[in-house]
Amino acid sequence: MQMATDDQRPRRKRVPINWSLPIFSAFLGLVLLAAGWIGGNPLLGLAMLGIMLAFGAIFVVGHRSETIRMMAAGRGADERWRSIDLRATAFSGMVVLAAVIVAFLWEIAHGRSGNPWAPLGALGGVSYLAALLWFRWRG
Amino acid sequence: MRNDVRTLRLERKLSQGALAEALGVSRQTINSIEADRYTPSLPLAIALARFFGRPVEEVFHADGNR
Repeated sequence: MQMATDDQRPRRKRVPINWSLPIFSAFLGLVLLAAGWIGGNPLLGLAMLGIMLAFGAIFVVGHRSETIRMMAAGRGADERWRSIDLRATAFSGMVVLAAVIVAFLWEIAHGRSGNPWAPLGALGGVSYLAALLWFRWRG
Repeated sequence: MRNDVRTLRLERKLSQGALAEALGVSRQTINSIEADRYTPSLPLAIALARFFGRPVEEVFHADGNR
């Protein structure tokens, strides 16, 4: 059997790493570490830094994956991925708002003021209405 | 939306990746269009039709008929 030479072997296309998300993750991790440190809980800060570094590492290690590349591309992703991103963002927003409403009801039902869930829920509702008006105006 | 993208692509002996690169989209997007899981935007549908040299209504079938 003839051995393939380097010239004959199919070359894997070089895929550049998009460093923006890993760098942002590391930065956010350092901010979380600082917050934990200032709050007197450096171990929590270190754990959060580790989580953010691991999250960023996914985008470096998996940079050949088309899904990872699209996740890291942000606005540069193709139209299908932007549509997926939009629906995922809307879904996570609904989950957070539902959690805020449940937490608010829980606090009220226990005779408490409902803070901080009431202003958070109001922020969600107002920002939703503002976005509706903005996008209606923008067509 | 049903379409003839896979047939037209295979006629030209193109991979999904090559077609995706030519149109500036991901391979997964071409795969989803071919599998009728994703309806492309009008600009992308027109770009696909132009790539294959066909009118857009010959590539995409809004009524579901091939």
